[in-house]
Amino acid sequence: MLSFILRRLLIIIPMALLVVTLTWGLIRLAPGNFYDSDKPLPPAIEANIKKKYGLDKPWYEQYGLMMMHIVQLDFGDSLKYQGQSVNEIIARHLPYSATMGILAYILALIVGLSAGIIAALRQNSAFDYASMAVAMLGLSIPNFVLGPLLVLAFALGWYLFPPARWGGFSGLVLPVITLAAIYAAYIARLTRAGMLEVMRSDYIRTARAKGLDESTVLLKHALRGGIIPVVSFTGPALASLLAGTVVVERVFSIPGLGNIFIQSVLNRDEPLTLGIVAFLSILIMIFNLAVDISYGFLDPRIRYE
Amino acid sequence: MTSIRLIQFRTGLAIAVLSGLLMGCMTSAKTRYFGLTTPPKDNVLRYVSGGEIESLDPPITNSQPDARILIALYDGLVDYDPKTMEPTPSLAESWEIGKDGTEYLFHLRHNAKFSNGDPIKASDFVYSIRRGLSPELASRNASLAYYIKYSEAYNSGQSFVKDANGQFLLEKDFEEPNPNAPAEQVHDTLGGDTDFHRFLDSPTRLTLPSDEKSRAKILDQNPKLKTAVQGKQFVPVRAEDIGLEAVDDYTLRIKLYQPAPFFLGLLAHQFFRVVDKNVIEKFGNAWTRAENIVTSGPFKLAVHKPYDVLKVVRDPNNWDAANVHLDGIEFYPLDESTTMMNLYKAGDVDALYNHTVPAAWFEQIRQYKDEYLLFPEVATEFYVINVKRPPMDNVKVRQAFALAVDRDALSEFRKTLKPLIDMTPEGIFPKYEEARQKVYSEELAKQGSSLEEWKKRVFDPDKARKLLADAGFPVQKVGNGYSCPSFPVDKVSITYNTAESNKAVAEFVQAQWKQNLGITVPLKNMEFRTFLPMMNKVEYDGFARRGWVGDYMDPYTFLGLYYSQANEGGTGWWDPKYDKMLDDANNTVDVMSRYEKLARAELYISQQQIIIPLGTNGTSWMKKPYVKGMYPNPGTLFPWKYVYIERDSSKWDSNVDNIMNVTDPAVEAQLKALTATQDEMESSKRTANTE
Repeated sequence: MLSFILRRLLIIIPMALLVVTLTWGLIRLAPGNFYDSDKPLPPAIEANIKKKYGLDKPWYEQYGLMMMHIVQLDFGDSLKYQGQSVNEIIARHLPYSATMGILAYILALIVGLSAGIIAALRQNSAFDYASMAVAMLGLSIPNFVLGPLLVLAFALGWYLFPPARWGGFSGLVLPVITLAAIYAAYIARLTRAGMLEVMRSDYIRTARAKGLDESTVLLKHALRGGIIPVVSFTGPALASLLAGTVVVERVFSIPGLGNIFIQSVLNRDEPLTLGIVAFLSILIMIFNLAVDISYGFLDPRIRYE
Repeated sequence: MTSIRLIQFRTGLAIAVLSGLLMGCMTSAKTRYFGLTTPPKDNVLRYVSGGEIESLDPPITNSQPDARILIALYDGLVDYDPKTMEPTPSLAESWEIGKDGTEYLFHLRHNAKFSNGDPIKASDFVYSIRRGLSPELASRNASLAYYIKYSEAYNSGQSFVKDANGQFLLEKDFEEPNPNAPAEQVHDTLGGDTDFHRFLDSPTRLTLPSDEKSRAKILDQNPKLKTAVQGKQFVPVRAEDIGLEAVDDYTLRIKLYQPAPFFLGLLAHQFFRVVDKNVIEKFGNAWTRAENIVTSGPFKLAVHKPYDVLKVVRDPNNWDAANVHLDGIEFYPLDESTTMMNLYKAGDVDALYNHTVPAAWFEQIRQYKDEYLLFPEVATEFYVINVKRPPMDNVKVRQAFALAVDRDALSEFRKTLKPLIDMTPEGIFPKYEEARQKVYSEELAKQGSSLEEWKKRVFDPDKARKLLADAGFPVQKVGNGYSCPSFPVDKVSITYNTAESNKAVAEFVQAQWKQNLGITVPLKNMEFRTFLPMMNKVEYDGFARRGWVGDYMDPYTFLGLYYSQANEGGTGWWDPKYDKMLDDANNTVDVMSRYEKLARAELYISQQQIIIPLGTNGTSWMKKPYVKGMYPNPGTLFPWKYVYIERDSSKWDSNVDNIMNVTDPAVEAQLKALTATQDEMESSKRTANTE
């Protein structure tokens, strides 16, 4: 088990460097520069800028310098936002995305799991049909539609919540619901399917035959197996929720990491883009590892060599 | 100042369209105001300011949204007039301009302080502008200051050339004589003579790149110069050589390279605003952090949470603090137009920046007469033409395409665009337009045409077809339409940077050309930062979309775009005759005769048709009626100290179409008090002259 974890952790390093290299190459292929604007620059001024940021050096030298810094976990300063380091920007904006992401994750789990379990236990009941229909709807409405709809009703119709911007609990309600909806729907369907399959399996029949009462069968035996698909879905989902979701952050003007990421690409802010990509890729790989480890606890049949 | 561009995503677009539709359905009985309209509880304005500010270091950034924040935080020699954007006294309480227009003497206020209480002196301006020009800072705005003597040479790393006797080579010995230069040099000594002043007043020294490679390139092209500099010593131009001099603590002298009558207006730009030397030397790059920053404007920084809010509060140390009405301003860095409209409707913000009303909302929003501001801007929209590649190298072909666009219909379609046939925007420079009308009548009559004929350029399809035929591409009538089979369609296209509005205009123009000339020009769209270098290097075929926002309130900010061989017009066109016309105009001191000379130059370049003017932009933004002292001026740039929140609803703004004509006693009194010092200076000069 320990060696498995170690091995996986070690793989993360070359993987992250590879991702960074590919991203760097893609940024360099994209035309344009962070300092371009619709007012063209005199050549002398452009030369000053290139010199200041080391862009006058050959590409391999720039790549080498960048990699050397990244290995030391130093992504340098943002090109666009003078005097701000990439690490500082990530640390500053991650909490916004993480707060929203964790709240949305909890909301999605509560709603999704309970709806899924009840639907599975009362298969083909009115509740089953109704909740699965709602879940289907949740899956098919993209969040850039759901968000404005919620804003229209709750922020501009009844003036209950602010339509956008970060600030206080009331400001979180609409973005969290928007963000959670699709995950809740997915979790509900996965839970229902997982539970239905497990409930028909032999070991549940054995548990019942042993004379265990229904709640023990359900919570201690069935649920553990039934939510494995949910776990493998929600692990990476949590990573992407934590790291920010571009669309919801744009719609509600949340200063989260997703928003910053998009801006950094549009601004051709190379160090910032690389920093966020590296951070996200490491985050996602760690969550995948966590998911793999948790399988072992949930399903006794899974062993790590 | 840049960026009338809004970053638009496909998602953003979907949102706009969707909410637009939904809003339409939901609109019930129309109320007087759009959404919740209650003044904020505290005396703090909440303003949507566009994208996140790039830097709080004034010379670094060049976008208009950033400028709005920086002018709240930093003060300059002059500030903007809230309605006209003309320069008003600020840290300089008065100024004098030398007779030949190259020397400026500023008398600074004695009571001006930085936000940490340190006095602001002439030497601080010398430091701030030298710093902005230093190659190490690499400011993108540095070229705004190139009118100051030797500033370009310093900024672009050049050297003087000194011979063995210690004499410097002079520029005039290596240039063609300028016939427009005044016959005799006027020597101004405003503020008294000094050694440094004598140096600046002496003939301009020759400067060449310090870098040997770039120097060799220039010398190879000019054998006379090459022999002249042989064996000479190259002395790098230093910051101390620039035409800036603190005559005493409160007197600043600026020497220009050549007359630039618009220079005073340029000084209100953030590039020229004053920063504190001590804090910059102490903290280096980190000086703009909230815990270190020292500012000079009516407001100082309180909170900066990037992408969330930037809050400024009134600075009690400011010399004019008594006349700053707001306790503070919260700037919200948002650029998603639907989101900001929602915030506005919900009463969470008090005003928006320009070009923010989405097209889908336009019909509804313009009903709100007390809040919606649509005024002409010092900004134009046009298509540049690549004049180097056939068939667009033929002026007749260019004119044909220009005449074949119905600008009135385009304006009707685009709503916020006013028809434009000239190089400079319409309705922004009234005095200049007067002079232009006169010049055009005269000049066109000489050419056997008339002003009426000229005005038909707004749309003249018959003439367009005739011109095209003259150029060798006859247009035939086919059914109800036209066709022009000999025109090489594969050699042209309309290239634009991706944005819904650019696409709409391009499709409109494409349809017009198809209908009126029988030519279907293909469209190409590109992401903004891909598009820019391609347009600037003139690597497109046919036409490319361009917008231009004026840097200062003078027609030259539009006409100067095509000045000099290295011009940044994006068309590949250059004409020394045009350069001479502009030089001649700028050497003219009298305002109206200068305008007439500029108008002649404008007529000349208009007839070359190197661009297709499409329209003058409109401001298109909203403010709540209780926000007063905030005017839709041509740059949407507010001197924030005039702005106040009116709690008495009977005094709220109504029918803002008239806002520029209504006098607000509070604003007028404030402006009068501010300009009094300069008025006094001018009237005392006038008396001195008449005596």
